[in-house]
Amino acid sequence: MKAAINEGTPAAKSNIFGSVTQKLGPLLGLIILFIIVSILNPSFLEPLNILNLLRQVSINALIAFGMTFVILTGGIDLSVGAILALSSALTAGMIVSGLDPMIAILVGCILGGVMGIINGLLITKGKMAPFIATLATMTLFRGLTMVYTDGNPITGLGENRLFQLFGRGYFLGIPVPAVTMIITFVVLFIVLQKTPFGRNTYAIGGNEKASLISGIKVPKVKVMIYGLSGLLAALAGAILTSRLNSAQPTAGTSYELDAIAAVVLGGTSLSGGKGRIFGTLIGALIIGTLNNGLNLLGVSSFYQMVVKGIVIIIAVLLDRKKSA
Amino acid sequence: MHIEMRNIYKAFGTNQVLAGVDFDLASGEVHALMGENGAGKSTMMNVLTGLHPKDQGSIFIDGTETSFSNPKEAEQNGITFIHQELNIWPDMTVLENLFIGKEIKTSIGLLNTNKMKALAKSQFDRLAVSIPLDKEAGSCSVGEQQMIEIAKALMTDAKVIIMDEPTAALTEREIAKLFEVISSLKKEGVSIVYISHRMEEIFAICDRITVMRDGKTVDTKPIPETNFDEVVKKMVGRELTDRYPKRNPQTGETIFEVKGLTKSGVFRDVSFSVRAGEIVGISGLMGAGRTEIMRAIFGLDSLDSGEIWLNGSKVTIKAPSKAVESGIGFITENRKEEGLILDFSIKENMVLPTLASFAPKGIINEKNQSDFVDMLIKRLTVKTESAETAVGNLSGGNQQKVVIAKWVGIGPKVLILDEPTRGVDVGAKREIYELMNELTSRGVAIIMVSSELPEVLGMSDRILVIHEGKITGELPMGQATQEKIMTLATGGQ
Amino acid sequence: MKKLSVLFMSLILLLLSACSMEPPGWAKPAKKENLKDIKIGLSVSTLNNPFFVSLKDGVTAEAKKLGMSVKVVDAQNDSAKQANDVEDLIQQGVDVLLINPADSAAVSSAVQSANHIGIPVVTLDRSADKGKVEALVASDNVKGGEMAADYIVKKAGKDAQVAELEGVPGASATRERGKGFHNIADHSLKVTAKQSADFDRSKGLNVMENIIQAKPDIKAVFAHNDEMALGAIEAINSSGRNIMVVGFDGNDDALKAIKEGKLDATVAQQPLLIGRLAVDAGRDVLQGKKVKKNIAAPLKLVTKK
Repeated sequence: MKAAINEGTPAAKSNIFGSVTQKLGPLLGLIILFIIVSILNPSFLEPLNILNLLRQVSINALIAFGMTFVILTGGIDLSVGAILALSSALTAGMIVSGLDPMIAILVGCILGGVMGIINGLLITKGKMAPFIATLATMTLFRGLTMVYTDGNPITGLGENRLFQLFGRGYFLGIPVPAVTMIITFVVLFIVLQKTPFGRNTYAIGGNEKASLISGIKVPKVKVMIYGLSGLLAALAGAILTSRLNSAQPTAGTSYELDAIAAVVLGGTSLSGGKGRIFGTLIGALIIGTLNNGLNLLGVSSFYQMVVKGIVIIIAVLLDRKKSA
Repeated sequence: MHIEMRNIYKAFGTNQVLAGVDFDLASGEVHALMGENGAGKSTMMNVLTGLHPKDQGSIFIDGTETSFSNPKEAEQNGITFIHQELNIWPDMTVLENLFIGKEIKTSIGLLNTNKMKALAKSQFDRLAVSIPLDKEAGSCSVGEQQMIEIAKALMTDAKVIIMDEPTAALTEREIAKLFEVISSLKKEGVSIVYISHRMEEIFAICDRITVMRDGKTVDTKPIPETNFDEVVKKMVGRELTDRYPKRNPQTGETIFEVKGLTKSGVFRDVSFSVRAGEIVGISGLMGAGRTEIMRAIFGLDSLDSGEIWLNGSKVTIKAPSKAVESGIGFITENRKEEGLILDFSIKENMVLPTLASFAPKGIINEKNQSDFVDMLIKRLTVKTESAETAVGNLSGGNQQKVVIAKWVGIGPKVLILDEPTRGVDVGAKREIYELMNELTSRGVAIIMVSSELPEVLGMSDRILVIHEGKITGELPMGQATQEKIMTLATGGQ
Repeated sequence: MKKLSVLFMSLILLLLSACSMEPPGWAKPAKKENLKDIKIGLSVSTLNNPFFVSLKDGVTAEAKKLGMSVKVVDAQNDSAKQANDVEDLIQQGVDVLLINPADSAAVSSAVQSANHIGIPVVTLDRSADKGKVEALVASDNVKGGEMAADYIVKKAGKDAQVAELEGVPGASATRERGKGFHNIADHSLKVTAKQSADFDRSKGLNVMENIIQAKPDIKAVFAHNDEMALGAIEAINSSGRNIMVVGFDGNDDALKAIKEGKLDATVAQQPLLIGRLAVDAGRDVLQGKKVKKNIAAPLKLVTKK
């Protein structure tokens, strides 16, 4: 028995060390990125740009928050971009037909949640692999968006001040989407770290069988998580609709990939069970900073893609090294 | 081919599986290998075929000392091991399965299907089987799959075929067929090592028998010179030592009962009851359906029919969460895959079933949780520096204690323990037994599934024996002996 | 209960009063006094299309000539990205914004944010639904439609039967090109078939096949863009009929087809010229000169020989 203790001790220590680097790695990366970009173009650190950055990041961050829960269970949600498009088209349709915009946004978010729940049911009741289920619904929801909008943007959303504030306004000088993002982050952080639901999310990703046997209602938790992912995609869609003052049928194309990238950059493992929503926030900021910074530096959009791809590869490689 | 294994030693970590085994196999004989689960039969054969390197001892093949470095090499030298878990690629055809990894190619490197078909057909003729070569292997019966494996072995010119529990999943007719094949192989001079728990089969087809116990050879005798009773005695012949704490059962009312549990093809008409404070041992051979019954009770698998009664009222358990809510805990045989989240800390694992109780207002109270976990660690004497240690870093015994602690935490009424001491060292075993005693003294009903006969005898108040999905007997503590259990478990009378 | 709702309402009012549509004063960039080194920001809808690449080239060439610098961002046809791009351009302190919108409605908020900061906006090829735009530089699509119709009248004769392949329904190019074409065709030609092929080559092929079946006496086809025209040519060739085809845009494939004698004519846009005119308009605005709200870039009829 003594041997077991001695074995346990160094491993336990390296675990604590590992979790520290896991927490700080992405943040460190973000800080380095900030320093590099602001040296190359000092206007990056100007207050307005930081506010712009926060607003630009908010949509991807909101989607990525939901994606974090999904990936923590070992799943994936490819349909978020399409849910964003469909819910924002439906929201815009309701506004055009005269519904109060704020109520329309609320209904739109609920509809997004329902779309996510459909994903969850396909995965749990239908026993489909998350990749396949959400790949199918991605195509389905995108198709429904095209059918509903006839391929044209929905415009004429009126002059409701609250609605305009939602995507374009400022609250105490901070862009409203950024405020929405921060509030959502705080709520989800508490849910993930401090509630049984959050622990169950980690547990399912850590070992689904053991979680089931421990009496965790795995199917129910999963359905709720995909529902949450859909809801957050719809919320992001509402912000986008307000910001663009219209619903675009092609909105959100490939947003799922940006969200997955943010989650992975934040140090969450794609095999589930390990990761933090704080990391995802940082990951989203890294992607946003790259987009914004490379624009400020006048890098052509083609090279921007190259740089983003390389950054993701480096981040994941560093992460692997740490865990090895 | 004549094989001689002398004084073989093999240990996995601290677990001495083979402790000086002797075995010899003559040309053209069918040699039975018997022993309890864990006696070392499969390990010995795996040492022979080079899957595990031996620690000590020597192997002579036709008088030359030989040591294979892997099963492929053994196969090339005419020794093939047909495992209990058949090596079948279910989505490929019978023909593809027969030639997997040794496909015959034409001069330009394409598959020579005609030649392979002709060869396969000649082997099937030799075995007098007629399985269509283009059939998907997965849609063949287990008996047919077995024949495919044997044909595969013969195609490599096998002189020795080792069969591990070949009849476990076969029908009567298929068994008869297998026996025909074995006797014709014998005539061709092929030797067979026949590992089985089924006494009657061994007496029907084998020439000699070797009995193993605790990693040693107990005896080797020609079949005509021995009998059923002698073999059983030799298999289990060890004295019960004080490895088990004394039990003072104070049983109360019947709190748990199942009636007529049936799942077609797995188990049928299983009925039993457990009283508060009682330990009921469930014995039987591997594959008899013991674990499957427990999984169904716990809601992991579905039942075709049957009722479960708890505290005098009928309950429907469709999911484990329902079982846990009803106060049933399940310690599975597969600790690492089903019992624990290895990357998670002791604390995170221990509170899994009870999380909601720490969050009456939605937010988990960390202080209460830590106190609870510290209490459990102390009570179960889990040896660790901190509750934050990942369970993957603990020894097997301590891991098992964490699993048990998890269930102690829900305040269970019924606890199902499937192989509670598998992979646990002797010291921790005793601690687990003491814990079982403590739990029953508080009125917990325990159902213990175990393949270790001494454990069943040492800890149970009552023993149920399962054979091929049916309860074949119930033995009260005083009357149970290893021989009786073995007889019931192997389908004898 | 009542107290609570009063409290709640006043809290909401308080929160709302903290909201505004404009960025806080402390965050606005300092206004540049110096007009010497003019910096242009160009946001293009996509650079995956030769037309817009030429448009960009026109802007950079003219700016270089006038000694201005240009920052180019590519929205990759994503309106949300374009909104971000425009913000980033504003952040870089550009003096004038040239925007080629990915979508007229969606670009409005970006135009409005430029308005808030006081940066003049010129749009290229497409307009913005809202916000203050100094000028729109675009091809005169109506005129182009008329040019196509005139050419058909000249070659196929008055009152010839013609077909019209329309673009995406409701798109401004569809409306305007169609309008110009009908200005002439309604009194000089007989438009016996009119169908949408969504600016798409393969749809142009399918639609034309149907038209040939239904209206065997068609003498000429006017397609709202070259892609559909090239599709129509394939349909005509395989039917063995002799029908003249006139396209619109003047893209590389179309010009090549004209050289090879497959396509009769195309109304060529001049993206380089659009870019140049936009830079000129931007400069005029900065110098305080008055500019026209709609600046039409001339079109060129390209024909065989």
